[in-house]
Amino acid sequence: MIEFSNVGLRYGQGPEILRDLNFRIEPGTFHFLTGPSGSGKTSLLKLLLLSLRPTRGRVTLFGKDTSSLDQDALLQMRRHIGIVFQEFRLLDHLTTFENVALPLRVLGEPEASYRANVTELLEWVGLGQRLDALPAVLSGGEKQRAAIARAVIGRPDILLADEPTGNVDPELSLRLVRLFAELNKMGTTIILATHELPLLDAFPFPRMILNEGEIVFAD
Amino acid sequence: MPIELKLPRFVGIENRERAAAIVPERSVSGRTLVLLIAIMTFLSGVTLGGVVLVQKSAIAWSSDVGREMTIQIRPVEGEVMDSNLRTAVALAEATPGVASARALTLEESQKLLEPWLGAGLDLTAIDIPRLVVVQLADPAEADVDKLQRDLSAVKGASLDTHAAWRQQLNVMAGTIVASGLLVLTLIVVATVLAIIFATRGTMASNREIVDVLHFIGASNSFIAGEFQGRFLTIGFRGGIFGGLAALLFFLLVGVAAGSMVPQEAGQQLGILFGRFALGIDGMFGILAVVPVIAALTAITSRMTVRRFLQKTS
Repeated sequence: MIEFSNVGLRYGQGPEILRDLNFRIEPGTFHFLTGPSGSGKTSLLKLLLLSLRPTRGRVTLFGKDTSSLDQDALLQMRRHIGIVFQEFRLLDHLTTFENVALPLRVLGEPEASYRANVTELLEWVGLGQRLDALPAVLSGGEKQRAAIARAVIGRPDILLADEPTGNVDPELSLRLVRLFAELNKMGTTIILATHELPLLDAFPFPRMILNEGEIVFAD
Repeated sequence: MPIELKLPRFVGIENRERAAAIVPERSVSGRTLVLLIAIMTFLSGVTLGGVVLVQKSAIAWSSDVGREMTIQIRPVEGEVMDSNLRTAVALAEATPGVASARALTLEESQKLLEPWLGAGLDLTAIDIPRLVVVQLADPAEADVDKLQRDLSAVKGASLDTHAAWRQQLNVMAGTIVASGLLVLTLIVVATVLAIIFATRGTMASNREIVDVLHFIGASNSFIAGEFQGRFLTIGFRGGIFGGLAALLFFLLVGVAAGSMVPQEAGQQLGILFGRFALGIDGMFGILAVVPVIAALTAITSRMTVRRFLQKTS
């Protein structure tokens, strides 16, 4: 599903942030992506999200070399990938329901066709009573659950999460990762970036450890 | 945590109001841009109205003057003025394309001199030139050359076709219309530039929204459409304010112009310079500026947004 071959990345004329990445991730797996701050976790996630192109090497997603894809094909592929950010990135002027429904709305689907699904998903992540609330009145945990719901409403094949527990307390962090684990059981491939050791220790998922631009895998 | 997707529906959701706009109205430099577009529409409307007024007056004046010629008979020693006048009238009436010819009476001729010589003077002792007013049935059909030739038989007679006046008027009106159109073009260019800057500012301040839309799989054309919708609304709002202000301006100036001068003088000024009335076509012209400005706003912003997205995505 995901294959990196000799991938390197640098910003402008700067040093290589990522060097000679070679790995393969199978469908339906769950991986932690970890490493010290500045090790390139976010850059690697951006490569996976297709918002950056590698400066060398080849990134293959869903069996296709992403370097040969045009804008439309990249857009279509991006629609199979969900993303959750540490800082939530919900749109402040939209309600929880509208934020979560956004990926379907941009596809031009009428609200009547997704209203029930969005509501059920929000019930499932525990936000059934917060449908009409604006992000400003949601707690950090509620915002992150809304962000996760937004990332999975389009039934993505791959779900990327960049430090999704960075702004919530340890107990809620565990609950959020359990939520990701449940999504993984439903078949979604998950790559969750975190540098919180208690979380890594609490779950038996394999780890991709980035250090100084290079990656190693550990169980 | 067990997955249970068969949960009861949330009741309130069924009556949800229409979804909020993805690009919030307040984030598009709203009021300033509405005011700017209103001012631009007002200026366009006033310029267009001015052009229409000048053109209408010029056409009406030119047409009136073109339907009339004047034969002037200067007093010549040994010639009988009344006889010459009769001959000139007869020659004019015999010319193809002439509807009628009438010699101004001595009183009428003297009255014409009043503005220069004052009223109440006894002019009987002075020989003054006399005029024959020739009305044309059809200016295109009138055989002016023949009349000119025929009049050479009448001593002291000369024919004034008003061609020089008409030409001068047409040149003047044409210059004003061309200047107006140039001003209109500059206003449109300034409007487009202002919208480009406003759109760029809006895109920069809404970068977060654009990024999120990209991450969730929105196409550039979808994002551009969302911004275009906002700008179209702003364009229409500003356009309507500006267009109505321009109509009001012409209405007020028309009323003010009518009340400032006495009715009689007003009529004469009206004959000379036009009525300062736009007419239905002029009003429609100004109202037509509104959708044009709105469309211009929407198209310009869409192109600017698409260029911005192509650079950033």
